[in-house]
Amino acid sequence: MRFSYFPGCTDRSSSMEYGLSTEEVFKALGVELVEVEDWNCCGAAATHSLNRLLSLCLPARIISKALLSGLSSLVVPCAGCFSNLKRTEYVLRNEQRDRRVIEEIVGFRYDPSLEILALLDVVVNRVGLERVYERVRRTLKGLKVACYYGCALVRHPKVTRFDDPENPQSMDRLMRVLGAQPVEWSYKVDCCGADLAMTYGSIVRQMVGRIVFMAREAGAQAIVTSCGLCQMNLEMRQELGLPVFYFTELMGVAFDIGQRERWWGKHLISPRPLLESLGLG
Amino acid sequence: MKGDKGSVLVMGAGIAGMQAALLLGEMGRRVFLLDQAPAIGGYFPLLDRTFPTNSCGVCFMSPTPPAFCPIYESRLHENIELFPYCEVKEVEGEGGDFRVRVFQKPRFVDPERCTFCGACMEVCPVEVEREFGGGLEKRKAIYLPFPQAIPHGLVIDSKSCIRCGECVRVCGPGAIDLEMKAKEEVLQVGAIVLGFGFEPFWAQRKGEYGFGRYRNVMTSIQFERLLSTSSPTGGYPIRPSDGRRIERLAFIQCVGSRDPSSGQPHCSTICCMYATKQAMMAKDRASDLRVSVFYMDIRPMGKDYERYYERAKREYGIEYIRSAVSSVKELQQSKDLLITYVKEDGTFEEKQFDAVVLSVGFTPPQGIKELAHRLGVRLNLQGFCETGEFYPAETSVNGVFVGGAFRGPRDIPETVVEGSSVAAMVASFLSSVPSRREREYPVEGALGEEIPRIGVFICDQGEELRKNLLMEELVERVRGLREVVYVGELKRVSLHEDLNSIKVKIGEQGLNRVVVAGGSSKEIRKRVEEMARGMGFNPYLIEFANIREQCALVHSGFPREATEKAFTLIRMAVERARRIQPLRRGSHGIERKGLVVGGGVAGMTASLRLAEQGYEVFLVEREKELGGNARNAFYTIRGENPQPFLEDLIYKIKSHSLIHLFLGAEVLGCERKDGHYRTRIGTSEGEEAVDHGVVIVATGGREIRPKEYLYGEDPRVMTQREFERAIHVRDEGLGDLRSVVMIQCVGSRDEEHPYCSRICCAHAVKNALRLKEWKPEVRVYVLYRDVRTYGFYETYYHEARAKGVIFIRYELEEKPKVIREEGRLWVSVVDPVLMGRVHLLADRLVLSTGIEPNDHRSLAQVFGLELNSDGFFKEANPKSAPLDGLERGKFFCGLCHSPNFMEDSISQGNAVAARAAAILSKERVEEKPYRAYVISRLCCGCGLCVTVCPYGARVLNEEGKAEVIDALCEGCGSCVVACRNAASQQQNFEKGLNLVVLDSAID
Repeated sequence: MRFSYFPGCTDRSSSMEYGLSTEEVFKALGVELVEVEDWNCCGAAATHSLNRLLSLCLPARIISKALLSGLSSLVVPCAGCFSNLKRTEYVLRNEQRDRRVIEEIVGFRYDPSLEILALLDVVVNRVGLERVYERVRRTLKGLKVACYYGCALVRHPKVTRFDDPENPQSMDRLMRVLGAQPVEWSYKVDCCGADLAMTYGSIVRQMVGRIVFMAREAGAQAIVTSCGLCQMNLEMRQELGLPVFYFTELMGVAFDIGQRERWWGKHLISPRPLLESLGLG
Repeated sequence: MKGDKGSVLVMGAGIAGMQAALLLGEMGRRVFLLDQAPAIGGYFPLLDRTFPTNSCGVCFMSPTPPAFCPIYESRLHENIELFPYCEVKEVEGEGGDFRVRVFQKPRFVDPERCTFCGACMEVCPVEVEREFGGGLEKRKAIYLPFPQAIPHGLVIDSKSCIRCGECVRVCGPGAIDLEMKAKEEVLQVGAIVLGFGFEPFWAQRKGEYGFGRYRNVMTSIQFERLLSTSSPTGGYPIRPSDGRRIERLAFIQCVGSRDPSSGQPHCSTICCMYATKQAMMAKDRASDLRVSVFYMDIRPMGKDYERYYERAKREYGIEYIRSAVSSVKELQQSKDLLITYVKEDGTFEEKQFDAVVLSVGFTPPQGIKELAHRLGVRLNLQGFCETGEFYPAETSVNGVFVGGAFRGPRDIPETVVEGSSVAAMVASFLSSVPSRREREYPVEGALGEEIPRIGVFICDQGEELRKNLLMEELVERVRGLREVVYVGELKRVSLHEDLNSIKVKIGEQGLNRVVVAGGSSKEIRKRVEEMARGMGFNPYLIEFANIREQCALVHSGFPREATEKAFTLIRMAVERARRIQPLRRGSHGIERKGLVVGGGVAGMTASLRLAEQGYEVFLVEREKELGGNARNAFYTIRGENPQPFLEDLIYKIKSHSLIHLFLGAEVLGCERKDGHYRTRIGTSEGEEAVDHGVVIVATGGREIRPKEYLYGEDPRVMTQREFERAIHVRDEGLGDLRSVVMIQCVGSRDEEHPYCSRICCAHAVKNALRLKEWKPEVRVYVLYRDVRTYGFYETYYHEARAKGVIFIRYELEEKPKVIREEGRLWVSVVDPVLMGRVHLLADRLVLSTGIEPNDHRSLAQVFGLELNSDGFFKEANPKSAPLDGLERGKFFCGLCHSPNFMEDSISQGNAVAARAAAILSKERVEEKPYRAYVISRLCCGCGLCVTVCPYGARVLNEEGKAEVIDALCEGCGSCVVACRNAASQQQNFEKGLNLVVLDSAID
């Protein structure tokens, strides 16, 4: 099983532990990720509010590079990148005029046979939970987690075409397979404030505060995310000290992957005490 | 093949369908009433209370006829044949001669054998959500649709049944047959009525409200069920998650309404009212409950609805929050719900609740699209049935008619009106008049004086009764009662056989009084009486004792006490039977002609429909010309021109040979005699008296003359209607128009006129759109209190906003101010969105004036009709008889009923014609059996009984004594209660008799 892989800027910087854990978990699962050559930034959360065409061309260039790999699926770990790429894909598929302009600027021919998938989608629906289960070496028994999907992964449903936009279940199912207990809660798709963290910290503090408070109210010991920006916001702007994982990190724990100490060092809230208390250190 | 070209197929046995079927049946038509559900009634049986009276909805059991339970009536009507659990497979032919292939789904349970012991339901391993009540409760694969289901029979739902056979094994009488096959039948009919009704919006589609995910979020259908006195909680509002009492309750309005993103751009019309009703009911049940209603615009625009809403706010303290709800979140420890909403000024707030009710809107029934397509019936964009604006009961297919919610969301009164309207259209379409079958009965023997010989028949009813009553003991004790010469048990194999055995025993034993003890007499009374009449036995010598519902079922588990009570009930019935006298019902002929007062659209429509059915009509109009208000209407919101329609209608009226026109005429007086009316009509040529059997009043209303906002002082200030004319004729005065301000609710919803005039919002939108079409650059501002563009009018409101019409809300306490300054008109208003005062330049100020009724006081007196406090005619029952006066044969329609669109007036005109024709179609009208009478020697002539009689059936004669007009007496008993000398008595309910019966209960 091989996938074309676009790590995105954060996987090499602020969310390095996401990138590292992803690569090692996939290695353990025997799935090959082929990094897109010469990739660029997807435009993140800023470009689309400044220049629509630019916000489409940046992801289009990534798509053009992915097409060169000859693989049929492109995997994106970060929810922000995923959203940008999916939005561009939607335009390329449905708006003929825009498509011609974008192709002209980027200098490629779009091929709709390339599918763009979120990393979570690939783990749950392509690799499959059975294969994940087979690889589990120690179950995450006793760990209560709040699965946090954020807003970009499942919305707009017409564009992302992944899971239920109000009450997604993929990550919850994955956590159950790992032996953890996902809690019921109502804030799994609420916005974390995204890059307002840089400009309006007080707003983000309020939004994150609510999400983390509700995760704890629901009985969770930790939050699980699938996005570099969400994870950073949730860790950085909260006051309750609730650890925030990437789902790949918890897979790593369950798979008993050795290098995970390196990941924990990247966290602002150390998950070590929690993991140790459950005998998962 | 059943039926003929004069028969009618009614598809959908909800309120509209039942109403149409009942009226057509009354007119003597043979009707096939079909429904896909295993029980008839549609959503009707779900309602415990109905607005705006909060009276019992399950059967409209109000004390005054013409209250009725349409479900029972449909079941019992001799001209109506029910086809429950049926689907239409194929329709061939054309208007006037259809062949319809009907497919009857198998029920798998034989109703003749089933004794309702319930053993099958206990063992059935399959549990699914009960459809009745929106899935609030569970049911088994074998089930009774709901407690009062008619037909009353169990059914196995083949979709969820796993065919384990457990039910067959435990069924004592062998009533279950899993091999039962579907039946097919072909019906011949001349016309088809579509009464498919609606389906509630699927609330899961609005994921942000969490229905199906959060347990304490319910749909309004579920909450209606929860509040019903027959619900598992007895109507007490509790939380589904933990059964705790609800203290803080929220309603979220417009779930699946006014929401183009869910394909539901229309307003569902009734949700504001039903939410208000449910909120009031919930508070009635639990007074410390706090209720908040989250809404966009509040829309109680039906007759007397505004007052209801005001009452909910003032008396019940229900909090209405104008807002948009952005999310509902569940708290995990308490399972409480957090509602986040944005207020008008743009700020967010959050509130916590124990439970949330989603006021779900109407969608068209999903299953009928294909059938509609096969029939060729055109549907609108939302999937409801499309009709012409001036032909509200006609579909795009000749001979196929439509009424009720299948045409769009509407409330019960409107649905009853449309069900009636469709009946009139069908009757007009099927021109051949059906022949009435008059049944001949043998002459009854002279009874009354001889010694009573009483036979008591106790219905066994199988397990159910035996379980809770000591049958042998009961029979023995009844045998010992005085003058009981025979006690028999009815095995309840079938009603037909049971009736036969009663008949045989009456002959064998020489019985002259009969007591039937068993289940509710409702379903069998008519058949028993019919059997008695058929053998020359006076039917009023049969008494019923209910030992099932009122005894065995309510006291289950206490067989000893229940048996004692059953015996007492039977003893009371026997005591009555010993004393009652045979009653003879008189009858009186009917003058089969109609009088219509008012020659507007409603009156003309009613006249034409009656004439088309072959009845002579006297049409009286005060003006020299026909047409009324419609003469000043130039275009409708849908873009049609009413004038050609009006001309055509006037032409038809003038050229119809059965319509006698009195123009420039007045009604001078009306007297009654035995159900005949003689009305004196004054014209310029003198006076004329006409005899008729029904009266239809359609005397209309008018635009209120505004007394404020410089109306009449400045020529630039005008009413919507004047503005409509100016736009229509492209008035040159509007040449350099730049800005128009419209003010809504001028003369509506205020102290002087405390009701909503219903049409003004759509009227403003209509004129704004027309103006924008003509002069797109003109700025239009609409100052409103709530925008009430209900139903499909909502799409035009949406369009107006899209085209740049600006809507600004104002409060009654802070009305807009109009200022004239240096020759210019300014309107100043506080904008709640901008949170400040804005000044709008008005080249024209258009006032959306309300509608008030014409002065009907003298006419009401002449015809003995009542007016409500707003001056509109008052109906006998706002739900079941919305166009009927209390007295039989008196009707009203159009603007004198309530403010309405022309489309509704046409429906009402049709509807009264049908209701009137149901009376006129009979040669004679039978009097009621249990009439009142006066013991003349005890009467002191005080006249109290005359005052209280709601039917005008009482007069004081020349000697100053009270007298009953038999033809008008409905047997309500009001006069008996009012009379202080016990001079007023009711046949077979005489005071002495009642006391003896009561004595026997406590002896």
